Amino acid sequence: MSDRLPLSLLVILMLVVGGCAGGTMVVLTPDTEGKTGAITVSNQAGSVDIASPNQGTEVRSSTAAPPPPAAVSRETITALFSDALSIQPKAPVHYLLYFEKDLVLTPDSARLLPEILAAIKERSSTDISVVGHTDTVGSREYNMTLSVRRAGSVRDLLVRQGVDPDHIRTTSHGKENPLIKTADNVNEPRNRRVEVVVR
Amino acid sequence: MRSFLITVFAAFLVLSGNLPGMAAAPEHAGIVKSLAGEVAIERNNAPLKAEANMKILKGDHIRTGKNGKVGMIFEDDTVVSVGPNSRIVIEDFLFQPSEKRLSFITRIVQGTVSYLSGQIAKIAPAVVRIETPHATVGLRGTHVLVKVD
Repeated sequence: MSDRLPLSLLVILMLVVGGCAGGTMVVLTPDTEGKTGAITVSNQAGSVDIASPNQGTEVRSSTAAPPPPAAVSRETITALFSDALSIQPKAPVHYLLYFEKDLVLTPDSARLLPEILAAIKERSSTDISVVGHTDTVGSREYNMTLSVRRAGSVRDLLVRQGVDPDHIRTTSHGKENPLIKTADNVNEPRNRRVEVVVR
Repeated sequence: MRSFLITVFAAFLVLSGNLPGMAAAPEHAGIVKSLAGEVAIERNNAPLKAEANMKILKGDHIRTGKNGKVGMIFEDDTVVSVGPNSRIVIEDFLFQPSEKRLSFITRIVQGTVSYLSGQIAKIAPAVVRIETPHATVGLRGTHVLVKVD
């Protein structure tokens, strides 16, 4: 342990010195599911692609090309970003509830309700979206009304379980935003749905 | 009579421009989800003390003091958290997927930021970027840490 102290001091010193010089440091890290995407860091002097986890680049000025990606240690990431990471909220969750017909949830979807309530509680969420959709059977008007009623029925289910109605925003898309693109007048169970987003 | 009323209601929805994307005209870009210490949101050059669940609008400046930090969730599921002594600006935010109207530009003036990209970066990565005084970061999904000084 004691032989690690000088190293961390050195890291902090480097950061302080680096900090005075000014610049932008960008580090690509795995997301909460462990997946790493890809980024491009560019300015008028050049561009660099980063696609491996815990690789970064440090750009000194807008007229200096971004250097090639280099590994960034766990210690450096912690020293620089622990404050920002410590306040990072849980990512929102999405649920799809499907309907047998009209306003009747499928048994599988009905069983999801406790999980949705748990997610709301876990996040102390006050920003819940409930979005109604239909399949393409019937007129535009009929389906708009049906999607409004579907969203309302899910909102009512949540409110009956103690969710504050002021925290729920319901919206409705009728048959305009199908999950599965179909021709008109197609009975498609996967399109008869309400999406719930818990933020 | 009932179907007449339904038709009138649906016609109202259509005429008021809410079809097909009733959800697609969000009045806000995101919300303040978590915060500690001194955090302010500057809107139209006037600073507001940030509070949990406060709405964030396009154009807002988010600023943290030396003990301040803040976590935000945007409408497309992007999660942005900001460390102390930082300032970021929501330069542009547009999330209307059904109309393919998408944009998310964040400017980091100073400080430390954790950025977990959301749906816009999945659907249209070309329109998502983080700008700093020294460089522009384009994202094709995932988690990025940025420090600007």
